[in-house]
Amino acid sequence: MNKQALVFITALFLLLGSAFSISFADQLDDRTREIAHKLRCPTCQALSVKESEAGLAVNMKMSIRQMLEEGKSEEEILKFFEERYGEWILRSPKKEGFNLVLWITPIALVVIASVILIFLIRKRNLKNADSNQNPGIDEKEKKRIDQEFEKASHR
Amino acid sequence: MNRGVYFIIGGIVSLGLIGLMIYGLFFASNPKSIPSAQIDKAAKPFQTTTFDGEPISLEKFRGQPLVLNFWASWCVACRAEARIIERAHQDYTPKGAAFVGIAINDKRADSLRFIAKYGKTYILAPDDKMGTISLDYGVTAVPETFLIDKQGIIRHKILGSVDYRTIAQFLEEQLATN
Repeated sequence: MNKQALVFITALFLLLGSAFSISFADQLDDRTREIAHKLRCPTCQALSVKESEAGLAVNMKMSIRQMLEEGKSEEEILKFFEERYGEWILRSPKKEGFNLVLWITPIALVVIASVILIFLIRKRNLKNADSNQNPGIDEKEKKRIDQEFEKASHR
Repeated sequence: MNRGVYFIIGGIVSLGLIGLMIYGLFFASNPKSIPSAQIDKAAKPFQTTTFDGEPISLEKFRGQPLVLNFWASWCVACRAEARIIERAHQDYTPKGAAFVGIAINDKRADSLRFIAKYGKTYILAPDDKMGTISLDYGVTAVPETFLIDKQGIIRHKILGSVDYRTIAQFLEEQLATN
């Protein structure tokens, strides 16, 4: 192999290697942000760790990244913080025990509201169909017309 | 039921939900109102090196009641409590208690200036850059103080400036028992 080819292959490997490491670092950053978004900033209120630049939130992001580099799963990382800060640190309540009420209630409300809406729409449609069949004539009116006809036929 | 009643019920339910949302966002998420997950649990082991260069670990204080304080030079409330903790240290370390202050998210030079300014003489060490010790203790802000009993169990956590009486009462109880 001549010298030029060797230089070319080495450069190619270096390029591929750095491209791979950049993409791996990007992936780690994305995963860090994803997990940080699931945690509540302990210093501030109504902000996630991802959104906060408070010192402790920054430390938590560094810690998440380090744990990801160590090969820990998202579940393990969230558990790590939950053990230290309590369930309060998780932005979404866990789907167990009383928390299930929090998860089920909004869905149940939407279902109940939909059922009521469908029921009301159907009721209105039936009423409209009924009024189309007998446009504007109720029993009293019908009786009055019949009486008028009878009177007219007797004349 | 007429249409007005439906509107009133819908309005009340909507207002209730909005109220719950506001409560959850601005009141229920206040870290100060959340009980610590660390109380009655074993204190997490830690290792660090003091500002004087001496390695320390939690293990070193086994059998002693420990006042573990998290502070920073930029924290205003830490100024007020610096002298309180120092006074408690002067009174109770000779009796067998231990005092450790961990500086978090602070520059070393600023921490040293703060130590000199407020005359802090108990064991003082910086946390690492990632705040490993403070994260392990579930610290939410500075200052924060943990009162750890002789068995290494966290008994109290004080958010904000700690007062002398709280420290004294805990240490008196601990030192009175064998």
